[in-house]
Amino acid sequence: MTHVPLGAFIAVSAMLFFIGCAGVLMRRNAVVILMCVELMLNAANLALVAFSRRLPAADERGSVFVTFVFVIAAAEVAVGLAIVLAAYRNRPSVDVDEARAMRG
Amino acid sequence: MFDLIEPIVFVLLSVALVGAGAAVVLLRRITSGALLMAFTFLCIAGMFVLLGAETIAAFQVLIYVGAITVLILYGVMFTPQSPRSYPLFFQRQTPLAAVFVALIAVPVVFIALSFRDGGPPASGGGDLVPLATSLFGPFAFPFEVASVLLLAAMIGAIALVKREDPLDDEFGEERL
Repeated sequence: MTHVPLGAFIAVSAMLFFIGCAGVLMRRNAVVILMCVELMLNAANLALVAFSRRLPAADERGSVFVTFVFVIAAAEVAVGLAIVLAAYRNRPSVDVDEARAMRG
Repeated sequence: MFDLIEPIVFVLLSVALVGAGAAVVLLRRITSGALLMAFTFLCIAGMFVLLGAETIAAFQVLIYVGAITVLILYGVMFTPQSPRSYPLFFQRQTPLAAVFVALIAVPVVFIALSFRDGGPPASGGGDLVPLATSLFGPFAFPFEVASVLLLAAMIGAIALVKREDPLDDEFGEERL
């Protein structure tokens, strides 16, 4: 069996991370920003699992961290969407550049 | 013949992953973006299977494709879709942005491709037993803290979206 090298997984992970990063910087809609944050978390998960499975010194610690990232991501999405909905109740839009109430 | 099946699957997954991820960022229709995000999560689960982490792939499908996508879709449907165009930055600075992209992307690619596999990949038996041994052995305390965090997040989400009805709220009139 030909195995895919570790560097290829890391390269795909980096690409996905920067795609998510660009989305966070570019988009206005708060829900889309949450989606792009999830993409970045997934890219980090891919790198963690790749290192955990392919490096000789690594054991299952990377996979354990991925499990904790799942937990944090679930909590983050629940609280983030609650904040978005609470903010939407107070103003007519979910665009982040219109949320100026807390600006300085 | 089966020698190349793993690289072929990897290339297909990579193309789908990057394409769907870019579509999430670029598409105007947010519902399509959310569904493509679920597709991205599925591709990541395929990557986990390629890496031999089947348990993590199962978690990925259950938590990301199942729970988080449903939450995001609810968020999309509860909020209005603004007709404005999305780009805030990178509109008139294309040459400058290209310079910065090259400055960041070239080192990242070199660093990423410089990682070498150490020895043969661990094979056989799956990853469930070592993962569970780590999770309930040395990581037992963080595991319990994570459950407390989930409880706190649940209570926080409920408290944030709770409708403050002045009729039910004894302090409602003071607040008004």
